[in-house]
Amino acid sequence: MNKKTLFFAVLLLLLVLLPLTAQGAKAPSAVTLTMGSWRADDVEQMNRVLAEYKKVAPDVTIRFQPTNPPDYNATLRLQLDSGTGPDLMYARSYAAGEDLFNAGYFADVTDIPGVLQNFTASSLAPWQTANGRMFAVPFAAVSHAVYYNKDIFKAEGLSIPQTWEEFLSLAKTLKNRGYTALANGLADEWDILETFFFGLLPNFIGGAEQRVKYERGELKINDANFVAAYQAMADVAPYCPKGFESVTYNDSQVLFNSQKAVMFVDGSWTSEVYKDASFNWGVFAIPAPKGKKTAICFHPDMAITMNTKTAHPEEARAFLEWLATKEGATIASENLPVGFFPMINFKITLANQQANEFLSLNAGKETDARFVWPALMDLYAPMNQAVIRVMKGQITAKQAADSVAALL
Amino acid sequence: MKKNNLQWGLYIIPALLVYTVFMAFPLLDSLRLSLFTGNTPQTRSFVGFGNFVRLFTDKTISVRYWGAFKNTWVFFAIHMVVQNGLGILFAVLLTQKDMKGRHTYQTIIFIPTTFAVLITGYLWKLILNPVWSGDFFTSIGLGFLSYPYLGDTKTALVTVSLVSCWQWLGIPTMMFVAALRNISEDLLEACALEGASKWQTFRHVKLPLIKPVVGIIAVLTFVNNFNAFDIVFAMENVNGAPEYSTDLIGTLFYRYGIAGQHPVGIPDIGLGAAIATITFFLLLVVVVPTLTKTQQGGY
Repeated sequence: MNKKTLFFAVLLLLLVLLPLTAQGAKAPSAVTLTMGSWRADDVEQMNRVLAEYKKVAPDVTIRFQPTNPPDYNATLRLQLDSGTGPDLMYARSYAAGEDLFNAGYFADVTDIPGVLQNFTASSLAPWQTANGRMFAVPFAAVSHAVYYNKDIFKAEGLSIPQTWEEFLSLAKTLKNRGYTALANGLADEWDILETFFFGLLPNFIGGAEQRVKYERGELKINDANFVAAYQAMADVAPYCPKGFESVTYNDSQVLFNSQKAVMFVDGSWTSEVYKDASFNWGVFAIPAPKGKKTAICFHPDMAITMNTKTAHPEEARAFLEWLATKEGATIASENLPVGFFPMINFKITLANQQANEFLSLNAGKETDARFVWPALMDLYAPMNQAVIRVMKGQITAKQAADSVAALL
Repeated sequence: MKKNNLQWGLYIIPALLVYTVFMAFPLLDSLRLSLFTGNTPQTRSFVGFGNFVRLFTDKTISVRYWGAFKNTWVFFAIHMVVQNGLGILFAVLLTQKDMKGRHTYQTIIFIPTTFAVLITGYLWKLILNPVWSGDFFTSIGLGFLSYPYLGDTKTALVTVSLVSCWQWLGIPTMMFVAALRNISEDLLEACALEGASKWQTFRHVKLPLIKPVVGIIAVLTFVNNFNAFDIVFAMENVNGAPEYSTDLIGTLFYRYGIAGQHPVGIPDIGLGAAIATITFFLLLVVVVPTLTKTQQGGY
């Protein structure tokens, strides 16, 4: 009994003393930060980036702790509300991220050196409040384009279409020669909207300047340009695989990868899927209709921010500062998975050829985020359904545009 | 005597404790949650029946709810007719004395039940997809069968329901087989002696005797189908594609209460709990009378 009490007393003493001794031996103490993310697929890549950062700041270890993508927003919110949030974390663009800033969880990073200087206004906007405060450092964007099978194009003597009309006649030629022209399908719903419709929309309605007019209500989302965009979706339906109504995103990838389909309108994040493809492939921009300028849907996707309640604000801030430098951004971009592009202004050459091809599509063209993201997120589901119904031939392009406009 | 009573109660405590902590408490707590808004204890606030009002008056939400409600009934009706109907038919056939290869058939009927829904759902999705199975069907002269069943609003729900029936057919069949085997030989012999036809024997002797099992199966089918989620998740998506035509209360609840709507993905737990609460009372209202009706005078 006595022995036991003594044992516990010593144990208790040790426990009390432990932090003191640990503090005593502080000097250049090692700090471990956690980083929350929705990119569960990128653990390997992010660990490489963070290992590089360790060379810059040897005392700081950052642990990448991603969440299952669909659960990220809810999980993060829960963690932050209960005070167990990560020190650093990925921030969603626009409203979803701004909510957390307004709730006092995301730090104000406006005065981090380089943030305002090294990014273009359109790259800053997704993580900027109305009064110009930045709540995250922009990190990576994704792009959207047409993947095409170079071998088949060569064998058939086809060239990259410059206008939407040429694109349609190209698809027709392919169909007439017995190919499935496009791999896209409708079963998973999100992909037809996010990659195809939002991908081609800037070609029909114009870039960010025009988008803002739609958001303010100066332009109607059932105007002639919008109707033309829906019509474009109806026009490509015949060139999608037989039974495209039940073709999933995964099916589409397999169709393209197994050369059963010649083209696939998709996001840049898919390019790694085809790295072992047995054929040559490339990408071209979804072309604009005759008389309009081709624009690219270059969507701001990820930014990184810090927790206002972190125990190590200096270290966390130092990492964000590094991300906003040329050196940091270059290292990060080189290690990012293929298809995620740096948003920083410096010219960064990527090692992967296809990634560079994707990025080069932006040259000299206007870019914009996916249409509904900045301010009209409520229209996501209705627009998705409208596109699907138009492609199935259940409604006309005009009816599709009207059905969405009626909700505003 | 009094001491005995206490001892008796003691033995229940472990089960009661587990039941209370893992079943009764979460159930009651979700009823409570349906009266609140906000997703965390810190931000939660009492809104009374606000979630229910919103569920039925907000145009976009109520359209989805009634759509899912209707689909769930269709889903249930198909199971009731096809799955349980075939179950009785197969059970009667399997209990015929002159039936050959009974065990083989029994195994074949039961095997799908042992597979994971995600796997059978995925396999059927490939089989029903013209892109993957179209060439095969054409090559055996059945090209007309190749059709995007899962992509057409008119066929999707029926297709998903039938796949689910196919998968779970083994359960009612086995239960009916067990019940039919319990019927005393004397009765069946008496029927045969009296010259009753097979149908008459079934209708007036077998069916009334297995009524309690029919009742249990009806209740199980009802409860399972009103909580169905996995088959739609495996074959379509959580939106109940195409155009919400396979959206069940289960998938609707998942979208509102657990995962949130893509792409924002912030759930509305109070609204989700409201959907769950309505389903709970609906089950109660249907299950209790069905059970009392069919179980009395049974075993």
